[in-house]
Amino acid sequence: MQAYIVRRLLALVPTLFFASLIVFVTVRLIPGSVIDLMLSQNDISADKFSRDQLIAALGLDKPMWEQYARWMGGILLAGDFGRSLWHNTPVAELLMARLPVTFQLGAMALVVALIVAIPIGAYSAMRQDTAGDYVGRSFSILMLAIPSFWLGTMVMVFPSIWWGWSPELKFVPFRQNPLQNLSQMIIPAIILGTSLSAVTMRLTRTMMLEVLRQDYIRTAWAKGLSERLVVARHALRNALIPVVTLIGLQAPLLIGGAVIMEQIFVIPGMGLLLLDAVNQRDYPIITGVFLIVGVAVMVINLLVDLSYGLLDPKVRYR
Amino acid sequence: MRRSTRTTALAAGIFGASLALGAGAPLADTDKPKHGGTLEVGTVYVTLSALSWDAQDFNWKHNHDTGQVYEQLFAADLSKSVRNGGPHPFYADAWLPSDAIRGELAESWEWKENPLRVEIKLRKGIMFPEKPGVMQARELVADDVVFSYNRLANSPRLLKDYFTHIKNVEATDKHTVVFTFNQYFAEWDYRFGWGYYSGIYPKEVADAGAANWKNVNGTGPFMLAEFVQGNSNTYVKNPNYWDKEKVNGGEYKLPFIDKLVYRTIKDEATFITALRTGKLDILEAIRWQNVDELKKNAPQLKWSKWLNMSGTYLAFQVNEKPFDDIRVRRALNMAVNKKEIVSAYYNGNAELFAYPMHPDYKGYFEPLEAMPDSVKELFEYNPAKAKKMLAEAGYPNGFSFKVQVCACSPDHMDLLPLVAAYLEQVGVKIEIQPMEYAAFLSAMTSRKMTAGYFMNNGHTNPTTTIRKSFTTGQQWNPSGWSDPAYDKKMDAVYAERDEGKRQAMLKEMTREILDKAPYVWMPTPYIYTAWWPWVKNYNGELRAGAVRPGPIYARLWIDQDLKKKMGY
Amino acid sequence: MATLAEPLARRRPASPVLRFVARLFREKPLGAIGGIVFLAFLFVGVFADVLAPYGANQISPVNRLKPPSAAFPFGTDNLGRDMLSRCIYGAQLSVIIGFCAAGLATLISVVLGIVTGYLGGKVDLIAQRFVDAWQSFPDLIVLIVVVSVVGPGMPQIIVTLGLLLGIAGSRIIRSAVVSVRENMYVHAAQSIGASTPRILWRHILPNVLPPIIVLFTTRVGVVILVESALSFLGLGVPPPAPTWGGMLSGSGRAFMFHGPWLALAPGLCLTVVVYATNVFGDALRDLFDPRMRGSR
Repeated sequence: MQAYIVRRLLALVPTLFFASLIVFVTVRLIPGSVIDLMLSQNDISADKFSRDQLIAALGLDKPMWEQYARWMGGILLAGDFGRSLWHNTPVAELLMARLPVTFQLGAMALVVALIVAIPIGAYSAMRQDTAGDYVGRSFSILMLAIPSFWLGTMVMVFPSIWWGWSPELKFVPFRQNPLQNLSQMIIPAIILGTSLSAVTMRLTRTMMLEVLRQDYIRTAWAKGLSERLVVARHALRNALIPVVTLIGLQAPLLIGGAVIMEQIFVIPGMGLLLLDAVNQRDYPIITGVFLIVGVAVMVINLLVDLSYGLLDPKVRYR
Repeated sequence: MRRSTRTTALAAGIFGASLALGAGAPLADTDKPKHGGTLEVGTVYVTLSALSWDAQDFNWKHNHDTGQVYEQLFAADLSKSVRNGGPHPFYADAWLPSDAIRGELAESWEWKENPLRVEIKLRKGIMFPEKPGVMQARELVADDVVFSYNRLANSPRLLKDYFTHIKNVEATDKHTVVFTFNQYFAEWDYRFGWGYYSGIYPKEVADAGAANWKNVNGTGPFMLAEFVQGNSNTYVKNPNYWDKEKVNGGEYKLPFIDKLVYRTIKDEATFITALRTGKLDILEAIRWQNVDELKKNAPQLKWSKWLNMSGTYLAFQVNEKPFDDIRVRRALNMAVNKKEIVSAYYNGNAELFAYPMHPDYKGYFEPLEAMPDSVKELFEYNPAKAKKMLAEAGYPNGFSFKVQVCACSPDHMDLLPLVAAYLEQVGVKIEIQPMEYAAFLSAMTSRKMTAGYFMNNGHTNPTTTIRKSFTTGQQWNPSGWSDPAYDKKMDAVYAERDEGKRQAMLKEMTREILDKAPYVWMPTPYIYTAWWPWVKNYNGELRAGAVRPGPIYARLWIDQDLKKKMGY
Repeated sequence: MATLAEPLARRRPASPVLRFVARLFREKPLGAIGGIVFLAFLFVGVFADVLAPYGANQISPVNRLKPPSAAFPFGTDNLGRDMLSRCIYGAQLSVIIGFCAAGLATLISVVLGIVTGYLGGKVDLIAQRFVDAWQSFPDLIVLIVVVSVVGPGMPQIIVTLGLLLGIAGSRIIRSAVVSVRENMYVHAAQSIGASTPRILWRHILPNVLPPIIVLFTTRVGVVILVESALSFLGLGVPPPAPTWGGMLSGSGRAFMFHGPWLALAPGLCLTVVVYATNVFGDALRDLFDPRMRGSR
């Protein structure tokens, strides 16, 4: 297993290297340079002297390879992601403020997705091709089919008109005030979670169908155990093992897909940070977000794969 | 300037026009002011988080976020506001009428000759509060002003021409600062006095790191308590603030409120909802599309409206064919039915004419009726004449050209196809090229744009709006207008010490440029400001300096009993 | 089993396709309805120019914000454009974007999946690790960066989405290939010295066709949904192109109260089509192979 982990990490390193190099270079080459944007902050003409001075002040006068080497070196040696060009503060600070928020929203959405998906999936499998099966699956797929920005807008607007109620919009970290934090996060987590539930539901259903046909289930039935017991103790448990892997697969969706919820529900997460940085061409933030999100997802995936092995002794890593 | 093209709808500008509002009657409250309470504001820039806390970064929004913490030499005299029976609504982005400027940190100032200089006496006894880890409480002195100026003037991000009129700045005693000039410059007080980067901060803050919000510490009515980027700025009352306000005969210590919160909300539906449910006490910029619904569902809201502080237009590259021909430019102006755009596209929530001068610029603005016929003609729909002029210019069958537009502006993405539909009637075809915000802006400043360029451009103030848009080599001059005679006139404006004469010169220049039609001049929409009735001593004023609302928020108070009574 | 079915088809009048359709209706009525909606949407998209009563960008300020009526069954928008026509042209755009991106994605999945799955060994291992790593970058984040880099527009969205979904989907094809690889007829072909491309083309590909079809169908829905999300962020296909997502997030939201029909029409189109592609895909999946698992 150690060898497996090492191999995984070895594949991770070159990918991150290439991905970060590509992002690093392309964002600096695209039209709409940060220099133009910054100079146009002022309503007077920008001469060559001022322009060169600004380029030098931002360290963008160095050759690209040197900029990259410095940036990578800073990360590897000191965990320093550079300074934001606009905010003039360390990028690492910005990332560290945002990452926990994104993780929290993602984790909450995941829990919601499982709460919705597993009962519906299990029920659908047990009552395959009945009305209940259709209704449950239809609901789940419907939630996937409605654009989440639209659902979010409706939840934001209509309760406020009907009952004068709207979700909390002033963000406080969970540690500081869990209640206020949750009252802001819960609705976007539900929307995000239900829209993701269709995939998990589908997998749970398929696995349940498969498990229900197995011999040991038939034995359980034959012993005269109640349906609840058969399902809970035997079938569902076995069906859920592959569902765990799905969590790993959904991690990027949760982290990346949250940007719309962040925007509507005013949650200061990674998505909005990236969106702003891209608009402002704040290169160090763009590369920083990309790198951190990539690493985070890879680590989650690795952990999920490892835990899968713990759950099911039959699995061996190669 | 910048916000001109910003995302989300209106990010752009403020401004105003009490025109339709029925300015006039002062709306003084008769209640006795009370201290306390929290003010939650969705500012004009509700979609934008603070970018930098350091003036040296030359970021325009700096003044918006720090204007209640860092004070300046001058600020708006809010007693001249419409609310207090005065003439000014205080909506403009970055313009203080000269009869409405008061000393903030400055107690008095005086021009002297040989060498040309301004001697500014500072108020005595103004204190920087204590900030643990940054500084002890101490008095603000002339050296702080000199320090703030010099740090700005030596910033690597400074544009060289910004302070060319100033020779040096010195402190001649503890409370006297002298600005010595190379030559007179009409906007000297805007460049450093009440402008974008004019906040005075102590050396201790710079030493601790001015870009870090945790170090921000100034003499103003509020202290920055917390900053959650992308969500909110929270300021708390400075208990030792020096200034007082007279309300209904009584004198009160400022600020009235205990806490001020700027909310950053990107999504329009969300910030409208936050106002509707009383989570915002004030929302400063509301598009007309949202007004009817709010008036219906939140009938107690109070309203003001102002004409956008930026102009919308389709700029022509005047150095290229076919737009080097004035007949073509004028013809396209006549081919667009601007009145119909006001009534049909804006639903009446716009004015035909408010650019490049703004109706709020009293003394500088001339209404369309006062313009020569050749200018008036450009605002009348006359496709027949347009066709005739195009034929005269050698385009009897029209032509086609590309127009760049920012995909970030939903308004423009609707408006431009409408303009295209009008132009098609006279045989002129537009190929629309939507661009992402940064690339779009960069195309203009680096002069790599297409023959047409559809944009919003902020007025800033009555002098700058002409200079930055129509003089040679400016970044915000999308048509590439370059006329040595015009440049000379602009120089003369800046050198002229008499404001009356400057006004006359600028009026003349405005007429000239309107007539030469480097743009298709488009109507200017109204923007609305709404606040709940418990916000007192306030009537929708937006700025007391360059995008600086701080002094306004320091002077309003919250009727917490009324708020409770109304169930919020 | 297409290779075996062909000669059968010549002998019997009822083609396997027809029999399959009959089975679909009998066993998966919901999926069948989804299939019908899917085909109807394809038809509307292809014949949009004939079906739409007005042009997609025919502006008429006097007719702005008219509620649904006989002349304008879906009402008009804030520029007086006919919403029915815009929705019909929206179907056309969705068909173009959806089919091109899903097609590209499927192609990439198939090539990558078949090659890695069939060859196995080191190639497979390395490729799979890179697929892993690639999947770690959230689609929306990659899209935000790409669209900002090259500017908003249809081709870039198609290519990026095609790549993203294609690489992710290669997993599914690969696992199908792995199970086919060990079949008798593949071994037989190998032993008579058939070339690898020939084996891939004649023996492997026909046998992994079912998952390919399912993959394609569900991807169409995914692409339409992602485009709408991008539109909300201002990075979708730019107006005045009448994409459903663009209409819904643009004028649909801005005129939510002045003209709810501005949101209703494109919103319904979008939801119904995405829903239909999903249930249709599910039904196909169940019929082809009840044990086949989808990932995303």
